[in-house]
Parts: sequence; C-alpha cells; structure tokens
Amino acid sequence: MPADTPDSGLPRPGAWLQARLRPHRKWLLGATAAGLGATLATVALAGLIAWAVHMALFAPERLPLGMVLAGAAVAAVLRYALQALRDRAGHRLADAVKRELREELLEAARRDGPVHLAHRAPSGAWVDHYLRRVEDLTGHYARYLPGTRMVILTPLVLLLTVAWLDWLAAGLLLLSAPLIPAFMALVGMGAEQIHRRQQDEENRLAGHFLDRLRSLDFLRRARATQAAREAVVAASDEHRRLTMRVLRVAFLSSAIMEFFSAVAIGLLAIYIGFGLFGAIDYGPAGSLTLFTGLFILVLAPEYFLPLRQFAQSYHDRAAALAAAESLAPLLQPAGGPATAPPGAPDSPRTAVHLAGVQVQYPDTAQPALHDIDLQIGRGEHLAVTGPSGSGKSTLLALLAGFLRPAGGEIRVADDLQRFVWIGQDAHLFHGSLRDNLQLASAEPVSEAAMNDALARAGLPVDDPQLPDGLDTAISEGNTGISGGQAQRIAMARGILAGHPLWLLDEPTSALDEATEAALLDTLFALAAKHDITLVIAAHREAVRERASRVVRLAEGRVESLA
Amino acid sequence: MTDREYLQRLFRARLGWSLLAWLLLAVTWISGIVLLALSGWFITATALAGAGVLATLDIYSPSGGIRAAAVLRTVARYFERVTGHEAVLRILADLRATTFRQLARWPARSLATLRSGDLQARLTSDIDTLDAIPLRVVGPMAGALLALVSAVAIALWLAPPLAAAILLVAAAITLITAGLAAAAGQRHGRRLVQEESDERVALLDYFGGLPELTAFGRLEERRAALARRTREGAARRLTQERAGVLGEQGVQLVVMLTTLAMLGYALHAYAEGLISGPVAVLLTLMTLGLNEALGSLPGAWWRLGESLEAARRLRETEAGAEGPEPVGAEPVELPSGPLEARGLSVGFRADRPLAGPLDIRPEPGYPLVIHGISGRGKTALLETLAGELAPTGGELRWGEQDLTTLDPDTRHRVIGYLPQRVRLLDDSLAANLRLGRPDLPADRLWAVLDQVRIAPLLQRMGYSLEYPLGEDAGNLSGGQARRVALAWLLLQDRPVALLDEPFAGLDEATEAAILERIGPWLEARQTVIVTHAPRRMPAHWPRLAL
Repeated sequence: MPADTPDSGLPRPGAWLQARLRPHRKWLLGATAAGLGATLATVALAGLIAWAVHMALFAPERLPLGMVLAGAAVAAVLRYALQALRDRAGHRLADAVKRELREELLEAARRDGPVHLAHRAPSGAWVDHYLRRVEDLTGHYARYLPGTRMVILTPLVLLLTVAWLDWLAAGLLLLSAPLIPAFMALVGMGAEQIHRRQQDEENRLAGHFLDRLRSLDFLRRARATQAAREAVVAASDEHRRLTMRVLRVAFLSSAIMEFFSAVAIGLLAIYIGFGLFGAIDYGPAGSLTLFTGLFILVLAPEYFLPLRQFAQSYHDRAAALAAAESLAPLLQPAGGPATAPPGAPDSPRTAVHLAGVQVQYPDTAQPALHDIDLQIGRGEHLAVTGPSGSGKSTLLALLAGFLRPAGGEIRVADDLQRFVWIGQDAHLFHGSLRDNLQLASAEPVSEAAMNDALARAGLPVDDPQLPDGLDTAISEGNTGISGGQAQRIAMARGILAGHPLWLLDEPTSALDEATEAALLDTLFALAAKHDITLVIAAHREAVRERASRVVRLAEGRVESLA
Repeated sequence: MTDREYLQRLFRARLGWSLLAWLLLAVTWISGIVLLALSGWFITATALAGAGVLATLDIYSPSGGIRAAAVLRTVARYFERVTGHEAVLRILADLRATTFRQLARWPARSLATLRSGDLQARLTSDIDTLDAIPLRVVGPMAGALLALVSAVAIALWLAPPLAAAILLVAAAITLITAGLAAAAGQRHGRRLVQEESDERVALLDYFGGLPELTAFGRLEERRAALARRTREGAARRLTQERAGVLGEQGVQLVVMLTTLAMLGYALHAYAEGLISGPVAVLLTLMTLGLNEALGSLPGAWWRLGESLEAARRLRETEAGAEGPEPVGAEPVELPSGPLEARGLSVGFRADRPLAGPLDIRPEPGYPLVIHGISGRGKTALLETLAGELAPTGGELRWGEQDLTTLDPDTRHRVIGYLPQRVRLLDDSLAANLRLGRPDLPADRLWAVLDQVRIAPLLQRMGYSLEYPLGEDAGNLSGGQARRVALAWLLLQDRPVALLDEPFAGLDEATEAAILERIGPWLEARQTVIVTHAPRRMPAHWPRLAL
C-alpha cells in the first residue's frame, strides 16, 4: 500500500498517525520496556507465591517464608511501579504528539494567512479541530499503540514460562488466545453492520435534544415547550431502544472474551487438578507439582489481561483515524513560490504598484487573477468592483499580503507595510471595547484618545448602544453588538492604529442601505481628513459613487478603469 | 436541597434497573473470586491427595463448581452491562426532560447565552457525566462492597477472624489510597474546565481575527501566548493524569501486598494446624481475586467528584429559572387588550435609554411602521413591546394589566412576536408550522405558505409538508426560512403581531406580493413592523422614525 494517495498528496490517516509518532518514539519504547519489565516481575511474583505454598505444604522446614514474602513484595512493588511508568510513558507520548500538533496548527494559520485558512475550514472548525479532534488522538497514542506491543509481548513471555512448566497447559492457553479475536471479529462485524444501518437515525435522535434547546426561544413563543419536552423524552426513549439493540450485540463480543478467559482458567485448574491427582497419565501431566500447578494458575488471568485491555482500546484507533483524516489537510502547506521582499514603487506618489500579477488557488485550474497591472496613488480612494467571484477579495488579500502571487510583482511603499483591515464582519475580540481598541497599538492608548477615535468613527462613547462605555463587554460572536456598530468600532480601531493605508473588503454588504450610507459618509470624510489611501472591494453603488476611482474586475482581469 | 439530594431524587425513579445492574456486577466479581479461590483450593487438595497426604477427595464436585463459576461470571457480566446501560439511557431521558423543563423557565435574555457553543457543549457533557453515575460510580462501590462482604464471610467461615481482619484493613487502605489520588487529581479539575473554555475563546479570536491580527502586527504575539497557554494546560492535564495512574496502580499494589500478607498468615495458620493446606491457598487466591473489585474504586471515586461538579453546574440551570413552566394547555379566558405604551423608553440600562419616551398604541387597520438606521433601538423596542426586555421607563399595558407582570403563557397568547432570526426546528415543514397548534389541517398550512409566496416554489421542487428542514433549516435558503417563520406567525391567531424586518433579503416584487396577501391579516390586529425600507409599506400605514 503506497503511503501517499497520488491525487490529493495527502498521506493516508494511518501513515499520518505513524509519521506524527516518529519524533516521539522514545516514549513508546519506554512504555514497551516498562510493560515488559512489569510482566517479568509478575512472573517472579507468581513463581514466589507458588513456591512458598508448595514448600509450606511439602517441606516446611526448608522454607525461609519471611525472605520469600519479602522477595515477592519487592517483585510486587516493581511490577506496579513499572506499570505506572508504562501508563505514564503512554500519556507523555500522547501529550508530546498533541502539543506538537497544536503548535503546528497555530503556525499553519500564521504562515498561510487568512485566505488559505478560510479556504480549508471556517474558523469555528479550526477551533474544534484544535481542541477536540487533536484530543481524539489521546487514546491512540496513550493506550492503543503501547497496547499493540503488550498484546504480543506479555502473552508471549507468559506462554514461554508456562511452556517451560508444562507444555500441555501452554498449548491450552495458546489455543484459546487466537480464538478470542476470531470470535470477537465475527460478532464485531455483526455489530458493525447493525451500527452502520442505525447510525444516521441515531445521530438524528442524539442531536434532537440540543436542537430543541437551541430553538427554545421559538418553542416558547409558540407555547410548545411542554410538547417539545415530551418529544425530547420520546426521542430519548427511541434512541435508547436503538442503542440497546446495538449494544446487546456489541457486548456479546466482550462476553465471548470473558467466556474464553474464564473457561480457559477453569479448564486449566481442572487439568492441573486432575493431573496432580494422578487421573491423567498423558504427556507432562504426570510431572506436575503443586508449585508448577499454582504457578500456572496464578499466571493464567494475566495472560488474558492485555487482550482485554487491547480490545477496549480498539475504538481509540477508530477515533484517531477519523481525527487524522480531518487534521491532515489543515496542515498541508499552502505552497506558492516565496517571493523576494518587494521593493518600494519607483515614484514616491505611488502607494502600491502591481505589475503582471497572477494568483492561483491550489485546487482550481483557472487563475483567480490574471496579469494585473495597477498603480494606486497616495490618498486615492479606490473602489474595486465586479460580480462575485471576479477576484475582488483576492486582490484585496493580495494587497494585504494574505496571499502570495504566483507571478508578477507587488511593490508597496515602505511606510505602508502596516495597514488597517476591515472585512465584511469586522472581528471584535472577546473582552471589553477598551481591549479591542488597545489592539490597534503596541503602546498603551489613553482613554481620551479612545473616546476621540470612537467619536470620529461615529459611535461616541456615551452612545446608549455602549451601555458601559469603554467597558462594554464584547462576547463570543459579537452578541449584543449590531453589524453597523461593529464596523464603527473597527474604524475607531483603525484611527488609533494610525496607518495611512486602509483595505476594506465589502465593509457594508451586511448592512441595510441607510446604515451603509451613514457609515460610508463617516469613512470617506475620515480618509479625506487624514490623507488615508483607501482600497474598498464592493459591489454596491453607494461605494462607487463616493470613490475617486473605480476599477472593475471580471473573471480575474481588470476590465475597465473609470 | 443539596447536590446529593438532587442526585437522589434524580435516580430514585430508575432505582430498579440500577439495583439489578449492581447486583449483577457483584455476582460477576464474586464468581470471579470464587473461580480463583476454588481453583486454588482444588489443585492444592488434588496435589495433597495425589501425594497421599489427603486420604479421600471428591474431585468431581469442585471441578463442577469451577465450571459453574466460569459460566456464571460470563453470563452475569453480559447482563450487567445490558441492564447497566439500560439504566443509564433511561436516566439520560429523565435528565434531558428535567434540564429542558428548567431552561424553558429561563428569562428570555438569559436564553441568549445558550447560543454559545461552549455552554451547549458543557451542558451535554455534564448530562453525560451524570447519567453514568449508577453505572460508573455507585455500581463499582456497591459491587466492591458486596464482593468484600462475601470474601469476609468466607474468611470468617473457614479461618480464624484475623483473616477477615486482614481483608477489612486492606479495604480501608484501598479506600484511602483511591480517595487521596482522586482528591489530588481533582484539585485541578475545576480549574481545567474554566481554562478550557477560556482557551476556546482565545482560539476563536486567533483563527477568526487572523486578518486583524496580521494587519495590526499582533499575530506573532498572540500565537506565542496561545502556544504558551496550551503548553501550560497540557502540563496541568499531565499532572492530573499522573494522579489517576498512581491511584490505579497504587490500589493494585495494596491488593497484592494484602495477598502476600494473607499468604504469610495462612501458611502460618496452616503450620499451627488452624486451617488446612487447601484452605490456606483458597484464602490467598480469594484475596488476589479482590483486585478486580477494589481496583475499580479509584475510578469510581474520581468520577464521584466529577459528577458532583456536573450536578452543581446543572443545578445552576435550575437557579436561573423563573416562574412556572409555560404550559401549552388552553387556560382561563384571555384578558382583553389593547396593547398600549405610555412614555415608554427602551434600552439595556436605565440611565442610557436607546429610544424613548414613546407613546405607542397601534390600531387595527393601521399597522405601525418603525424605521431608522441600525443601532437606534428598533429591535430593542420590539423586544420590549413583546415583554421580553424590561422597559427602562414608562408604562406598558395590556388592557387593565401591566404587560411586564403578565404570566408568560398569557403573554404569549396575546403577543405574536417574530424576531429577525427564528431558529426553526430540525423537523418537517409541517411540524414547524404546526408548532403550538398541532391540529391545524394541511390545507391551512398550504394556504399560508401560498400567502408568503413559497408554496409554488416548494411544489415545483416536489417538496411535501413532510419535507425535512434540517438543522437550523439548512435545507432551505435564508430567505425561505424567514418566510416559513412568517407563515408560522400567520397561523397563530393572536391579537398583537410584532414583526422585525420580516422581508429582509427579499426583492421588492416578492415583498410587495407577500404584503398584498398578508395585509388583511396584519390589519386585523394590533401590528408593529420594523423595517429599513418604509417606502415599500402601504402609504396609509402610520410611520414612526427612531
């Protein structure tokens, strides 16, 4: 199986998980070594217990009981300390992988910029991946991977020990072990089928409660909360019926595991008992002693333990594969040639100079922008228009440096490397209004300057829309702040930043006409007063009629200059 | 009521299922202990008999006992899991119903916080933590207790009391070890939950605010701060996990050392002639067999703390609830109107009213059109008139009564409020339209769909009333979803209609067509419409500019 699928260039989830392991392999080795050590200590412990009993019953005068018990206690301490180390190493492994991955996710966003970021997933999904999807990898690295080692090593060590004691008993253990996974697989496949058939219905029912919670407003206004609550109970009951149908089968597989290990232990005990009694004269049974018999009996449950643990961690693997599949594409580098740092435009009157610029998105055949030649003069108010998909936003992103051109050259005046960006929905950061305004500057901004900037942006600090003035709280998703207000706060932020280049991507498209007009009046007055170079992508008439120049794009080309 | 009482009340209804599951769990563990102990007794006895030390031995009934214990263990385990999950899922349904009932009593403005994904996620995970209490907390504790009692009884029956005393001391040490580990781990627990939610907000700001952060040159600083926060959180989580590992392995060690102590005592008692050789081995292996039962205690203890924490948070939903649960049954006669505001001012703070003072009394036949640029309090005014936002001043009356003190259900029977955004149910078109009036016939539904000019479209696409709207009406366009919500309002026969931008996003022709069809309905009651395009409304409707 090739490691890479040729079409997407993305590694398969399994290979991806393996690649993430590579730098942290030492933890896995540590976990394996500790697990193996614990198994050896277990063998010693069982042997000492069996020997103590044997000697106490048959040769009590030759038994140094105190020393044997002390030795067993040491073995016991060793065993559980090593098991603790084994689990700890597994946690450390998972931690190292997750931490590295999270840092890479942060870095990928920084490196590839907002355009590529949005291209791959909405920002909420990035957060979800960062927190939940990465966390889904825990079980795979902490339990499943060490488990794959222990499920072979521990039974092997125990089997060799038992074989050395009595090969027939070892044969019994050996026979029962492969039967377990085989039967489990059979039952598991059955459960899988039932599961898959019911998955959609189950997901729907599981989401029902949350959906009704989210619609609680509507339910209350419709006076239907009581009916909805009854429906929630009915859906939960239906969900229970379906889930139990799956679980009843799924539990069969663990029941089989239990059954085989319990029966194997029981059979071993009976075989040993009958052998010791002298009722079996076949093979090694005649040479069994209480020491060997008890030794084998105490080891038998340990033989099945890693199998049971491994079976439990198997779903960890499935969760990790699903997570890998969705995480890998986020980390793919955006590519695009790294351009040499652009110089300043030739003329000091020019703010930005684009020459033969071309932009290509990774998964499209057509370039998003062709051969763009454009000069933007200082203090110009340029509107970029065109139908949706014509490349307006791409051009803005290019000027902002969020995208790298595939060809051509962009020159930006040295004093315009920092700029103000206002998108369709200005992002307001969680915190207070004051925090948001402070963001514009690395230096502390005075309250007076903030109030002044807000007033100039048309949202004076004593406006009733800001109930607590500068301390007005801004929460997740800008709740309580209207679209027009958010854009004005963004403008105040821009004023405080003091950058003479403002890039605005459809800043008014989410607003109604009256609000748009008021906002644009404020914006253009500000720009004129402070000699700001404005570049606005917009398809609305209101923007075009206020601009000093209009560039129209069509299918990624400059169509006309007006 | 304490958290504990709250939990008791919650679980009492499903006690039967839980008891059965606990009993089966105990049977599983006890048969496991019996399996080991009997096997040890059996092979020792056979060894002694084989060596001629023991005169006679019936080898068939003990081996039958071993087989029976092996089978019983498997069967009990299987049914324990089935009944345990049955109990969990039944409690889940109860919990959802209880939580839902309480949230339904929340004041309208607090409900907005429910839209935060963070709160929803926590609510669901709290419910999941709580419903597992019988299976993962009480079950192991009860099962371990029963297993211990059985082992002690066997020890008392077969050996001097010291053997039983060893078991009891071991159980006490186990409980203490498990408790200490859980306490160590949980010291961080509460903080971790808070930190996780802060981290989520910081991440949303980083990924969502990337353009702004880049423009202002603050990106690298934020990235480094987030990376540091994540590293610190991971370190704390590792500490918490360490407590878990130590507790788990520590308890196993305690059981093993107890086994060795029992071995020492049993061999000593055998040498003294107090017990037989096979019984000495039985006692030892029985003690070893307790590790399964006692080993589950650290986890159970740990989850107990988490569960109490989850219960505390869920009870906060109860604390937020006000007034009775709004009921859907037709109650007493509706008090008569009209809706009238005198000197009404609205806003979020009394000292900073957004709008007002206003005198408003919409007359039937003359819907009141409110307009003005965004941020002037149009929506806040409508919310106040609907009784969902307290007025900052003035009077708001429904006939003789103060609207703000009207009980919520009566208020909802009076006022039909259509906010800008209605989150429709993830259900069929008919179920959404029939919400609150479940017995409306299909032709009424089609009639209103036709009034909002969406029926022809649906019919062209071949959609029936059973068409599933999807989550957040994802199977409809935004404009279609708004019109479905409008259709729902038209089906509610209420004396007041308050509509917030009902035609936003529609082209002028469609808006005019809809207005023509629903005009009579709007004029038949007291109506207030908020719009940013007042010129599209009929000329004879009065205007109010904010």
